[in-house]
Amino acid sequence: MKVAVLGCGGLGRIHASIYAGMRDVELTGVCDIQQDLADDAARKTGAVAYSSFEEMLEQAEFDVISIALPSYLHKEYTMLAAKAGKHVISEKPIALTLEDAEQMIRCCEENGVRLFVGHVVRFFPDYVNMKQALDEGKLGRACVAHASRIGGHPGATKAWYNEVEQSGGVMVDLMIHDLDFLRWSLGEVKTVYGLNRREELLDYALVTLQFESGAVANVEANWGFPGQFQTKAEIAGSEGIVMANSLKSSSLQIHKAPSTSEASTFVTVPESPGFQSPYELELLHFIDCIRTGSESIVTARDAYKALELAVAAIESARTGQAIHLPLVQR
Amino acid sequence: MKKLKIGMISFAHGHAFSYFNSLHALPEVEVTGIADSVPSRVENLVRAHQLSYYEDYRQLLDTDIDAVVICSENVYHAEITIEAARRGKHVLCEKPLGITKESMEAMIAACQDNNVQLMTAFPCRYLAAVIQAKKAVERGEIGDIIAIKGTNRGGFPGGWFVDPKLSGGGALLDHTVHVMDLMNWFIGSDVKEVYAYAAPLFQENIAVEDAGMIHVKFASGVFGVLDTSWSRNGTFPTWGDVTMEIVGTKGVISVDGFAQKNELYSKANGKGTWEFWGDNMDAYMIQDFVDALRSGTPVPITGEDGLRSAYVALAGYQSLQQGQPVQI
Repeated sequence: MKVAVLGCGGLGRIHASIYAGMRDVELTGVCDIQQDLADDAARKTGAVAYSSFEEMLEQAEFDVISIALPSYLHKEYTMLAAKAGKHVISEKPIALTLEDAEQMIRCCEENGVRLFVGHVVRFFPDYVNMKQALDEGKLGRACVAHASRIGGHPGATKAWYNEVEQSGGVMVDLMIHDLDFLRWSLGEVKTVYGLNRREELLDYALVTLQFESGAVANVEANWGFPGQFQTKAEIAGSEGIVMANSLKSSSLQIHKAPSTSEASTFVTVPESPGFQSPYELELLHFIDCIRTGSESIVTARDAYKALELAVAAIESARTGQAIHLPLVQR
Repeated sequence: MKKLKIGMISFAHGHAFSYFNSLHALPEVEVTGIADSVPSRVENLVRAHQLSYYEDYRQLLDTDIDAVVICSENVYHAEITIEAARRGKHVLCEKPLGITKESMEAMIAACQDNNVQLMTAFPCRYLAAVIQAKKAVERGEIGDIIAIKGTNRGGFPGGWFVDPKLSGGGALLDHTVHVMDLMNWFIGSDVKEVYAYAAPLFQENIAVEDAGMIHVKFASGVFGVLDTSWSRNGTFPTWGDVTMEIVGTKGVISVDGFAQKNELYSKANGKGTWEFWGDNMDAYMIQDFVDALRSGTPVPITGEDGLRSAYVALAGYQSLQQGQPVQI
């Protein structure tokens, strides 16, 4: 199977290097309008560099394309790729509006290609383990859940994140991981209540989901946390509680003495290494789904529903009211 | 200076035992008697410390005590407080202060009218981490507060706590007030809007909610959320928690009030447990109550503070009925 990658920023480079290392997959092209990023990715993976998508579409042979562009471009390039008969693996969020997401899903259906969206938390082993505990009955009925995802503001290094029209803000871009995870684990959501404060290089949100089952979850997301990126989650049920905390599961910590040239502070880098990264597990799964025609662990419709939760949360934060789902009738 | 004479009224709420121990440890205090309509709750204590016992709290109020500590079922807080005030006794009342706005206002008025002090038992203000966090906020270390996410979770208390005729409500009332008081204390602005969800989720066939998630908006624009659930089961290594993520424009303060613990793995317990070794917040709260009465200065946490927090929980029940935020 031949694959190309569109967008050679952080995630695009991750996708490209994973494809380059995959058996039975050939990475034929990497594309970025910033030629140096494409060249760099090409050098590391052996693929051909392109600075224009149209050019790559014309010249490179591929069946599948990974789209790792800024969120506001997902729709345009997904539809271009679908119309060219390419299966699409898009980074999350699927799109910034439900209308766009719906059009993307329809377009891929009409053109007979698959659409996958990178809700990678479904491939993080700590989150998979939590869902397993629930599915195996160890928690009884899920009752009250929490999820938290906090880190620095990506707009500090990439300006498009600062534009809500381009990134969707912290709920659509970051919290959507937990919204998807919670819906995956606890089922469909009945109402959404959101609280949000946005300032320069700060976007903080608290969102409460009431599920059709009666369960409730509160989700925290912070762009503007002055510390290491970290995630936490908990599901408390009638028979048990499961808790995950990225800070408490670092299996490796590298502590370094200060170098003489730098300010004299010790440096500790915590890590949680695995033989296969969640991104690798995700892309392997998507490629396998394309090969076998099987249903994905996370479907395009799941991505639509995750976006619906984020959009409802924004609507709630704006109006101050609890928002009932579904937002629009399909 | 003569000793402060204190009577304790009802041990329905288990915190009474800790308050007794804290009072008993103070040389400037004499616990003279205990009133409890259920003698079995206190008979060991009465015997061990040779205290006077009264079945009817009014008999205790007839003695020459200066103050009372009330740990009755929630619904009796108002009646006992008002009776104590009428007889000129200062009051330390267990939280929640009351179960209706009107009854709490009557408690405050009765104490004012009779020139006695009313303090609400919010010991979480005496967690060292909470105090340091407040100082850090005041020093401007995280800029301006924009939000607080709190939790005050616990085990299922059973007994009168889950009988609405005696408790006035479940987990939402029981566990909103502690951290709500801290939020009020930190933010110093009035809550103007409340949105809550609560339901009996963990236990089956109970008459009150055991899960609660309450959201507040302050007049200053700060918002908060608080998990009040009785979500900790018997296998959990500790009773519950008091936590706050205080999010500011220039940083975040994380408070985990009972993080000062050792992990104990003893066959005697049948499970791993967390052994708290931090300072005893109850003792510091009791000391402050006693100091205020002896020096004639205002108690540090008032009846109004108790009303303010409990009223948020009561507004939460209104919001629950309407399914939307309510203004207060």
